[in-house]
Amino acid sequence: MELKQPIHLKKEKPSAIIWKTVSTGFFGGILWSLVGVFFAFFNFTVVSPGSFVISSWLHGEWTDGWLAEMIAVLVLGVLSILIALLYLLVLKKLQGILPGLLFGFGLWGIVFGLILPLCPNMKPLLELDSDTIVTTLCLYLLYGVFIGFTISYDHLDRQQNKK
Amino acid sequence: MKRRKTNDLKLERIDDVQSYMETRVGVGTSFDVGFREVIILKKKVQLYYLNGLNDTPVVVELLKKLISINDEESNQDELPLIVKNRLVHQQVEEIDEIGKAVTQLLSGLILIFVDGYEQTFVVDVRSYPGRGPEEPDTERVVRGSRDGYTENIIENTGLTRRRVRDERLRNEIFQVGDRSKTDVCISYIQDVADPGLVEMLKNEIQAIDTTGLSMADKTLEEYLVHQGFNPFPLVRYTERPDVASNHLFEGHILVMVDTSPSMIITPTTFFHHVQHAEEYRQSPVIGSFIRWIRFLGIFVSVFLLPFWYILSNQPELLPEGLEFIGPSDEGSIPLFAQIIIADIGIEFLRMAAIHTPTPLATAMGLIAAVLIGDIAITVGLFTAEVILYVAAATIGSYATPSYELSIANKLTRVLLILLAATLGVKGFVVGITIYLLALTKTSSLNTPYFWPFMPFNFRAMLQILFRFSVPASQSRPSVVHPKSIKRQS
Repeated sequence: MELKQPIHLKKEKPSAIIWKTVSTGFFGGILWSLVGVFFAFFNFTVVSPGSFVISSWLHGEWTDGWLAEMIAVLVLGVLSILIALLYLLVLKKLQGILPGLLFGFGLWGIVFGLILPLCPNMKPLLELDSDTIVTTLCLYLLYGVFIGFTISYDHLDRQQNKK
Repeated sequence: MKRRKTNDLKLERIDDVQSYMETRVGVGTSFDVGFREVIILKKKVQLYYLNGLNDTPVVVELLKKLISINDEESNQDELPLIVKNRLVHQQVEEIDEIGKAVTQLLSGLILIFVDGYEQTFVVDVRSYPGRGPEEPDTERVVRGSRDGYTENIIENTGLTRRRVRDERLRNEIFQVGDRSKTDVCISYIQDVADPGLVEMLKNEIQAIDTTGLSMADKTLEEYLVHQGFNPFPLVRYTERPDVASNHLFEGHILVMVDTSPSMIITPTTFFHHVQHAEEYRQSPVIGSFIRWIRFLGIFVSVFLLPFWYILSNQPELLPEGLEFIGPSDEGSIPLFAQIIIADIGIEFLRMAAIHTPTPLATAMGLIAAVLIGDIAITVGLFTAEVILYVAAATIGSYATPSYELSIANKLTRVLLILLAATLGVKGFVVGITIYLLALTKTSSLNTPYFWPFMPFNFRAMLQILFRFSVPASQSRPSVVHPKSIKRQS
């Protein structure tokens, strides 16, 4: 065994934080949409990732099944990478969990207020039952904190290591 | 409280010392403070000791040597030097301040005053009453070392040192408590641990102003982490030297308090409380398997009961194929009340089991199993399913390695049930959200508590989900801010 100098924290390359954000976005998207699938399975919400991403604009036997849900989860995982990168670009300097909460709330507003009415097969927001609204909102809040808190923490960590 | 002014007492006047000892320390009043005067070369030599904490054979040996000076020496002027030379013990110290000397006396060391000499000799003849290292009850393993920390801080540093023979291991000792003067020791590996955190802990410990640390580690913890209304355990305890040394290598800092076998490990996250030494005694695959089962148990202990309650209260939520869930006959008491009563009943049992003497434990088990469980169903108080799910949730909390975490989770479970009972699905989902957000918001000594889940760290999360073999995990967790992230090879 050769004697090694202890390797001190290397100065992180700018690409490192991007890769971290990509993994955060991807796994965050997958995880919280899986929770969404679970809640939808137990009818806590009528809107599931599958019904949103797939069957809102496609027709067919398979669009209600598990295959559709899993494809939707993957699609959301990929979409989530973009959202996380957006957060990294714009909001990474905000500390704490409050920015994440507001981000999640805003995201929910955009998805359910602006995108939902464009989908031909979906009920409008006002016709959704209160359980659905609360459940989806909570998921978006958790997702927002997951993305926001992680990115701001990584950013802060990096700032401190630079010193 | 201010320290008593004692510096002005001159130690060379042995009669002053004696009267000080009688009035302030209670020699002659307290029977455990012993006093012996001998005349050596026509000078008074006084010994003060604590009979409860001294090793008598050692003291007798010291006395023999001192007395023999009379037969073998004659130079009276050199008496202090001769005495020092004749103190046959490896730990001899000289102190010129009576206050410090008395603290040493009350720690179990012996004080030797020589008339006309301005210092006192302090000899470490301590032998503290205590047990030997035993396997800790809460952290048993099937195989592996069975020694555990004891109540003696010196033995405890010794047990750590046995596993960390690194010259860079630092054990820094402080005395806390105006009256108890409890020894507190911070252990860390100097070139690994975060120097900022070490500094912060030292400052916090030195700033403690209290009469005494009667509950030792727990009292100290409350001064360190400022818990407030947070029910979650903010530090991890361990009684196993192997667990402690592993954390030292990772860059954690140990805080040990004399009179307690529990070491405080900082910084701590939520996921430190869900791991157990047993996982590391098995092969990685088995270890991961055990860990998943454990996670499942912890998950069940928090979420199963409120979730089942929601589903049985609103059967229309059940998907096709799962309609059988939920009680067929609800009984005469509302389901929600049944769950709360059963859960409180189990809490009774748990608390009673802690202080029930062993001969009564069998009777208690019998009453619990037969009378409460069986008869309550027969009478119609409970439906059988309530007992089943409450029992599953309880076993889940027993599978939680950290006792403190299991109780905090139990509290969460009751709150979730209350929310689910009042607000239905909305209450349940909002409750889960608040639970997760509260965990995320918590921080222990500037460390995010829910790391590496939120904030997310993929590699660290993998380390938690899978138990990797030790050669494969060559990096230290970044959350402790180690000076170098790689372990040396």
